[in-house]
Amino acid sequence: MFRVELLPHSGAAAQPGWTYVADRGFDPSKAAMAPTLGRKRGIRDAGKGGDISSRRANAIIRHLAELDRENQSDVQIPVPVKQAKEAGSRGTRAKTTSNVRRILQSQKTFRNHLDDEEAAIAAGGGGVSATVGGGTMTAAAAKASRAAIAARRSSTPATVPSAPASKKKRTAPTATATSTPTPAPSQPETTDAEAEDETSERKPKLIKTENDNDPLLRSYAPTMPSDRIMQRLLAEPPLSYNASRAGPPISARPPRAFCCMCGYWGKIRCKSCHLRTCGLECYRVHEDSRCGAFF
Amino acid sequence: MGTTKAKAPAKTAAASPSTSRNLPKQTFILDNGAYTMKAGYAPGLSDEEDALSACTSIPNALVKTRDNRIVIGAQLATHVTDWNEAAFRRPVEKGYIVNWEAEREIWEQSFFEEKATARNKQLRIAAPEETTLVLTESPNALPVLQRNTDEMVMEEWGFGGYARCLGPTLNAWNEIHTLFGDTLAAKSESDIQPADCLLVVDSGYSHTTVTPVYKGQALQRAVRRLDIGGKHLTNYLKEIVSMRQYNMVDETYIMNEVKEAVCFVSNDFTGDMERTWKANRKRQAEESVVVDFVLPDPNAGKKGFMRPHDPLLHAKKKKGALSGLSAEVLSEDVLVLGNERFAVPELLFTPGDIGMKQAGIPDMILESLSVLPAGLHAALLANVLVVGGNAAIPGFMERLETELRQIASSDCVVRVRRASDPVRSTWLGGARLACNREELGRVAITRQEYQEHGSGWAGRRFANTI
Repeated sequence: MFRVELLPHSGAAAQPGWTYVADRGFDPSKAAMAPTLGRKRGIRDAGKGGDISSRRANAIIRHLAELDRENQSDVQIPVPVKQAKEAGSRGTRAKTTSNVRRILQSQKTFRNHLDDEEAAIAAGGGGVSATVGGGTMTAAAAKASRAAIAARRSSTPATVPSAPASKKKRTAPTATATSTPTPAPSQPETTDAEAEDETSERKPKLIKTENDNDPLLRSYAPTMPSDRIMQRLLAEPPLSYNASRAGPPISARPPRAFCCMCGYWGKIRCKSCHLRTCGLECYRVHEDSRCGAFF
Repeated sequence: MGTTKAKAPAKTAAASPSTSRNLPKQTFILDNGAYTMKAGYAPGLSDEEDALSACTSIPNALVKTRDNRIVIGAQLATHVTDWNEAAFRRPVEKGYIVNWEAEREIWEQSFFEEKATARNKQLRIAAPEETTLVLTESPNALPVLQRNTDEMVMEEWGFGGYARCLGPTLNAWNEIHTLFGDTLAAKSESDIQPADCLLVVDSGYSHTTVTPVYKGQALQRAVRRLDIGGKHLTNYLKEIVSMRQYNMVDETYIMNEVKEAVCFVSNDFTGDMERTWKANRKRQAEESVVVDFVLPDPNAGKKGFMRPHDPLLHAKKKKGALSGLSAEVLSEDVLVLGNERFAVPELLFTPGDIGMKQAGIPDMILESLSVLPAGLHAALLANVLVVGGNAAIPGFMERLETELRQIASSDCVVRVRRASDPVRSTWLGGARLACNREELGRVAITRQEYQEHGSGWAGRRFANTI
């Protein structure tokens, strides 16, 4: 048995964005897609469980691809052909090597290169990426991009799994980072007052009071990592292109919706195309001329 | 791990006596951005003003104008007057040099032209084999593209020395302490050293990156990228304006001018939104954020400009000559910009507004810090440097500082500074690095070494694994 799954794609032209996937028995998480709901509603509200519909996801991806374009339409801008006289001036330099010729003739776009790279990484760290990562961290970096995204949040001995949003956690003394307690490297531009409390010789003008040893006032600012840890961190190879992309926001603010006509808050939603408008005035214009959905 | 560590000092030890290992004296710094290249010879030790006078910005693009002429790089400033419907071809895609056919043409024209003209006097590389090239790249480049770059630089032009550096890290070589207002005793001018800890936010044309830099080297595991840059902002503005007012979809250049003239980052998004609401506009016309932008008129040779919004302009125009407006005013095309002014740069802080599932810049900074030892957080948060063209948007710095302060731990001091010249700051850092011959010798390779070991070795060398 098969079911149809709508895939997000970034192509500008409308393509059939679906594929056949094998359906292995009853899956309660997919029960919402039961055919009793009707074909179209199933497509429209595919991931009703909190996620946006696949149609919306497709629209967003296409919009982002649109924003990424250099020109609105595809224009070919050839490199002007050099005059023979000017081309002759190359004679002073060495002849073009095969590498240079290959690179100049390559018509690959960034997307092609990225796909090649991802394929090479997925194939087990082969390809060109293997030449770069020589260090010990290669294994982590050369995993598939999904795995790499997980790996970048992993805590190797050098890191502290700190959640920066929560202050409670940070005040707790962190034992992992200071496995080798060496004096912190001199940090002249650090103006963190708490950090300098402990090394008071740097600030000779600190006022002495009887409260200095009060446990309630003690600072638990973590110390600078040791030189050894810093050397290890610096020796790490770069993450792959996809792994270095910023993740979703930490603070889960509700998404804001804007009026598709005037840009004010999108207060009402069009019943047919689900775009937002701010009020009846904008909605009428939208309905008359812009609303492109017919079902 | 032990092997690499043991090797690294051995390498420097071997290299330092031969620092001048035939590394040419002259250093040419090239910050090869997607929008403009910042190029020039390193001026030697001098103050910032003097150094920057040696740096020239050249558009990194081929342009096809409306009348089908193709104009390259530096000629754009002089040869193009009519920017309507200009189409661009940029060899740098997503911040990385992808199309070398076009890039070679631009480099050739900018740096290697045979006859010396007034324009290229400063930039001409007469003898590449007697020049060290310091070329910047964006973080997390694809190894294939890095390799292509190395091969082109060393085999097509044959530079005598070559260093491919991570762009953001070069900023650490600038005078960070004066910028942040730290007073340091015993500042030796003779010995230029990078700042110890610096968090560089580079918001450019193709993307925005966060790079923690420790003693001039990037902490690779914490480099993060938001795929929104100036290009996306321009395109977004273009799209909104085309939807609401005139069709501007082919006017990338003009919309970029509009963006630079009117956009600002709002520090009170809700309030500004109310102020620009059409029902509220009439009530508070005087303090409104709404402005008019008069579009350029190439036939009359007039440039575009911004002026306060005139709500009655439309009605007056309808009346035509009766209203007493001059013919000049009647013929001009005006864009009215209200919430577009701040909703567009808002994408850098809330990419969720266009449905993107990435964090804004402040969240990205914290995400970057979260994979680093806690001991570094305070030092990095106290030294946040913003470079790149988007840093020039009014309100950007205030917003970043406010939001970062809100989400960062209260134990940390948060200081956010804009480089004095955010666009050329990276170039300037490169120029100062070039003054430190020992360090330059450590990062650069010579032509001879390249010929001996090949491009694979060069790639490993720049990736710091040999």
